[in-house]
Amino acid sequence: MAVIQYREALRQAMVEEMERDDRVFLMGEEVAEYNGAYKVSQGMLDQFGPRRIIDTPISENGFCGIGIGAAMVGLRPIVEFMTFSFSYVAFDQLVNNAANMRYMSGGQFSVPIVFRGNSGVGGSLGATHSHRPEAFYAHVPGLTVLMPSTPADAKGMLKAAIRSDDPIIFIEHENLLGDKGEVSDDRDFLVPIGKASIVRPGRDVTLITYSRMLKITLAAAEKLAEEGIDAEVIDLRSIRPLDIDTLVTSVSKTHRAVIIEEDWPYCGIGAGISDRIMQKAFDELDAPIRRVTAKDVPVPYSRVLEAAMLPDVGKVVAQVHDVLYR
Amino acid sequence: MPISVKMGAVSPTMTTGHIVEWMVKVGDQVKEGDTIADVQTDKAVMPLESFDEGIVAQLLVAVGEEVAVGHDLLLLAVKGEDPKAIAASAGKAAPAVAKAEAKVAPSTNGQESSHAEAPHETVAVSGGRVKSTPLARKIATAEKVNIGEVKGSGPGGRVVRDDVEVFLKAQTSASSSAPPVEKSAPAPARLVVGDEVVKLSRMQTTIAARMTEAKRVAPDIHVTVDIRIDTLVAIRERLNNSLAKEKIKLSVGDFVTKAVAIALRRHPAVNATFDGEMLTRRGEVNVGIAVALPEGLIVPVLKGADALGLREIRTGSEALYEAARKNKLTAAQMNGGTFTISNLGMFGVREFDAILNLPQVGILAVGAAEKRPVVEGDKIVVGTVMTVTLTVDHRVVNGADAAEFLRTLKGLLEEPASMLL
Repeated sequence: MAVIQYREALRQAMVEEMERDDRVFLMGEEVAEYNGAYKVSQGMLDQFGPRRIIDTPISENGFCGIGIGAAMVGLRPIVEFMTFSFSYVAFDQLVNNAANMRYMSGGQFSVPIVFRGNSGVGGSLGATHSHRPEAFYAHVPGLTVLMPSTPADAKGMLKAAIRSDDPIIFIEHENLLGDKGEVSDDRDFLVPIGKASIVRPGRDVTLITYSRMLKITLAAAEKLAEEGIDAEVIDLRSIRPLDIDTLVTSVSKTHRAVIIEEDWPYCGIGAGISDRIMQKAFDELDAPIRRVTAKDVPVPYSRVLEAAMLPDVGKVVAQVHDVLYR
Repeated sequence: MPISVKMGAVSPTMTTGHIVEWMVKVGDQVKEGDTIADVQTDKAVMPLESFDEGIVAQLLVAVGEEVAVGHDLLLLAVKGEDPKAIAASAGKAAPAVAKAEAKVAPSTNGQESSHAEAPHETVAVSGGRVKSTPLARKIATAEKVNIGEVKGSGPGGRVVRDDVEVFLKAQTSASSSAPPVEKSAPAPARLVVGDEVVKLSRMQTTIAARMTEAKRVAPDIHVTVDIRIDTLVAIRERLNNSLAKEKIKLSVGDFVTKAVAIALRRHPAVNATFDGEMLTRRGEVNVGIAVALPEGLIVPVLKGADALGLREIRTGSEALYEAARKNKLTAAQMNGGTFTISNLGMFGVREFDAILNLPQVGILAVGAAEKRPVVEGDKIVVGTVMTVTLTVDHRVVNGADAAEFLRTLKGLLEEPASMLL
């Protein structure tokens, strides 16, 4: 175990998997010579050389297509988006080709590829560079969407993603890259895909979240504990497939749920989760499921407005009070 | 402005009530004093009268829906207003629902809201539906609780888990002396009658609460006296003979009521109410008469009893019994009591004592008039005797006050002619 940054954990995962399997390679904008726009791939060009650490032009649709083709013929590419806001340029490659190839080819081709990069409201990056793309991709059968919130999960989940035989949308968070945490040195440390994590057990209310919002949610749980409210906090980790069993078990215990997400409200992840919970645990609910989401507006450039747009501890506490009728 | 008619407190202890039947419908002209609905209170079904005039624009509460005193019940269009327009602008939502929305709306603080939604419209919720959470319903079903009887504490009166559990707890504590029901007992060879869990009626629940309250707050004392009523019995017989053609038959109880009323007038310490702080010696003598009903006990009030003759006491009491049996007592017939009489004489009971009917400070328990051996001089003779027990609230009434009241009462009943004085 060592305490390392989230970005270092991502790097360790890629390095270990590239050392383990020669078919794994990394490509993207600035990943090689510049050592990564966010320094995730620092030193990897030196270690693996230009055959496996490949700088691309600013052409997401093109290099995603190259990656998918490479995966179809036997390689295991990692494609980095400088930020996931830029993945929209390659939407067709991800949603039509990567997601459907196994199905459309009658199982003749699999697409073992990882699309990764950071996302989220990073801080005055403006409306077009602050996207939270998880709901778009989680909508699509054929894609797996993973979002780690801690350095340990960043490593364990990325390694599992690289070893997966199907396309993975691996969404990091810009504001988590510098976070530090204990991370396993075990070269086979994998976090299973599709398994949520109960970060804080509790009995009064289930708080469901993922990625950066885990930090807000844990802070809210501490605040609630001061009032004697014992909140259970669940980090989804895997957005699709959803670990519905863990959620249902928790809600069956607490009888109320609040979902916290950085994304917009309408058709957001929380909307889908709320539906699933109601399908499976309707009779366990003692209050409507509430959501704390970003406001339904383009992300403002102003830091003040940006903060106002996002969930915060006070908003989470308010919704918990609501479901507890307090 | 349309007039909103509210749930009135038609019984003194009522905090909520529900509409048993609407007596008006949309479009009806309502005048002041018209009965607009029959309301089930904690004690009885009572008519609710309108204090206003207008045309019924909208009924805001469904039959069976429990609402608090002061809750809006219906909207009246006043002169010059169009009832239909009022109903339309009021929307379909009952005020309880509107209130719930008002609570939710400002809490968009963090709660999702979306421009992707169509312009917001008030969601129509039918007034008669019991709003409850799925979990509350699940527990209610498993415990065989009618969720309609559970008072909801959530937004808009929504019944939540806590409400059902509190309701269940109240039930189990009420029947905690009953042994648990055995579920898997082997089939017995003989017929065994199983335990029956009885759900308390609203009236019985109120009685239970009030009796407990009385025993909890009022240190009571009981003073008993025997009253020889041979003279009274003879007078009663003569009077009844002369009243036969009017089909009026005085009971011993009517004499007791008359005598109690006179005694109360002479002993204001007993004709009083006490709320824990303020003792009020009541100007009127309003005698409550406890009436046993199949579903409980009710105490209609004979107003100004000290000024009534025996005939009026008889007919007045009879009217009250009748109304009580038919569940038709009005608020006026139930409110304002200053003292209570409970009579079990007709069951042959020799003596008993009664629990105070707070805030009144006294209640008289009347036993049967029966022949007993009586010491007269140095001889034992047979006399008709009745034993009465006065319960008083010792916080404000002393034993001596109680004894003096009983002495007066005894004198009046043993020599009925003195009531004429």
